[in-house]
Amino acid sequence: MVSNAKELAEKRLARLMAAMNLEEPDKVPLAGVGGDIVPAYSGLSMYEYCYDSEKALKAMENFLKDFPCDWPFAASVSGLDGRVFNVAFSEFPDISINLTFITGPMHDVLGDKYYRYPGREISEDSSPQFIGGSFMEADEYDKLIEDPVKFIAETVLPRACRNLETPRKAMATMVRLGTEISKFNAMMMQTVGLMQELGYPAMALGGAYAPLDLIGDFLRGVENLLLDIRRYPDKVKAATEALVEPIMNYALAHKNIGATLAFIPLHLNEYLSPKLYKEFYWPTLKEVIVRLVNEGFKVMVFFEGRHDAHLETILELPKGWGVAYFEKTDVVKAKEVLKGHTCVMGGIPMGLIVGGTPAQIDEYVKNLLEKVKPGGGFILAPGVGTAPRETPVENIKALIEAVEKYG
Amino acid sequence: MLEDILKNIVEMEEHEAINKAKEYLEGGGDPQKLLEVCRDAMGEVGKRFEQGEYFLSELILGGEIFKGIMEFTLPKIKSGSVQKIGKIVLGTVKEDVHNIGKDIFKVFAEASGFEVIDIGIDTPEEKFVEAVKEHKPDIVGMSCLITAGVTSMKKTVDKLKEAGLRDGIKIIIGGGRVDESVKEYAGADAWADDAAKGVRLCKQLLDWRVD
Repeated sequence: MVSNAKELAEKRLARLMAAMNLEEPDKVPLAGVGGDIVPAYSGLSMYEYCYDSEKALKAMENFLKDFPCDWPFAASVSGLDGRVFNVAFSEFPDISINLTFITGPMHDVLGDKYYRYPGREISEDSSPQFIGGSFMEADEYDKLIEDPVKFIAETVLPRACRNLETPRKAMATMVRLGTEISKFNAMMMQTVGLMQELGYPAMALGGAYAPLDLIGDFLRGVENLLLDIRRYPDKVKAATEALVEPIMNYALAHKNIGATLAFIPLHLNEYLSPKLYKEFYWPTLKEVIVRLVNEGFKVMVFFEGRHDAHLETILELPKGWGVAYFEKTDVVKAKEVLKGHTCVMGGIPMGLIVGGTPAQIDEYVKNLLEKVKPGGGFILAPGVGTAPRETPVENIKALIEAVEKYG
Repeated sequence: MLEDILKNIVEMEEHEAINKAKEYLEGGGDPQKLLEVCRDAMGEVGKRFEQGEYFLSELILGGEIFKGIMEFTLPKIKSGSVQKIGKIVLGTVKEDVHNIGKDIFKVFAEASGFEVIDIGIDTPEEKFVEAVKEHKPDIVGMSCLITAGVTSMKKTVDKLKEAGLRDGIKIIIGGGRVDESVKEYAGADAWADDAAKGVRLCKQLLDWRVD
């Protein structure tokens, strides 16, 4: 069993690496679905999944045993993006990398206003959700530009987190946060063990962020930032430039845990016209990606929404830089543009998995793979990995079987 | 003057648009005419979006400029004197607490002449049912961002059916994660993943209305 699992993991890893290296694997790798269906499959509420790590691990095990794939990218951690904390701690690499995901217990400890957790602000059945907000005034850009880490750690976070409002509160909060980090890391170790047992490749995932997204998601709020771009373009641009260094410090800290793949989820990409994208978003994101590649990382970027208008800019990156994971961009068209340069990932609309029939899914996967399989460099994945709790399990099975048949 | 204001809004020149609108009213201009010009401008913004010339950031900024002008224009217009083309009950569905998509759509729908009753976020099915009974809208608009919202949409449509209200209304769903397959699954009449398309489809849905 153990050797079988090891062999299986190696096979799956080889498949993924071949795709990432723009080669043709033995079979098209599948990054499976995850999200709300994982706890639901074991009869857990989202609250239990977010707050009871033992039950969560068991649920993950049940799900991954019954719905195998090559890369259970979406079926593991149940935390929400915490990149503002990564930046705040970016001078302390050993701490910084532990806050990429803010779990339910960490959210309780921080008392932050960024997230909504089941059994807390929202019902026990709801998915944890990121809300963001505005915790910086428009006239504070100079402070952000001058010393982004100081401004975020000392000014923004006390506004964004009730339990960091005063230095006294912050002392107790940081001790408690440390405890939660320890618990989270223990759970991650167990997750890695579980993955190995089930024959999944153990891939340590690093992370980075697009500087403009950091401002939109955690500092100014999306609407405000979009207005700022028009009102104070020079300041916004200077702020994105100032954030590159702390984001790099956080990203490179993952070398210490042996990560070779850095994940960057994008947010504002589809909001911007090509002109604004090329002026305010892409230059600093590109710098982050290129510097990571130069340091030996592969980078995986999730292009949320439709990235069609900016597709060509990806070709400015060095060949073989990594994986472009698309949500709603047509992957057939994307592969046409990016073949031989970038590994393309995505292709399955979640609506099909939730509302389609097994026969429709079979037909869809067959047609899609006919177009994108030749030449390799492709990873099949749902456009967004989070499947609702009512997702018919026979549809998930149908997806797996279709990849077996046509991959 | 009005032509300049229209051009300023469409070209995203926020300060010029708002200042000129103020000047126009202070000089004794007709608020009703100003409103119509602003609506035309928003229609043009939506059109440019659908043609791929404008992006979400322009929709949001256009909406902000429109709201900014309406703030001092609407109080000058006698209530009841503004003709509404239809009524929409709008909410983000149960278990989803995001409002950005709903709010962008709302501004554009209002700018197109719809009366919009916003029933908020994380809206239980029953609340949609109550709102339909109370307000008797032409259209129900449901928004979601997260994938879990997709099943909430279906449940809400089912509840409206159970309550015997489905036949009297048209249902449009909207948000980043909806598409044709979600529309089919939920049992809605139309879907849109941007506000411009959403409002255009709402106008079409009015034409299908049984009077």
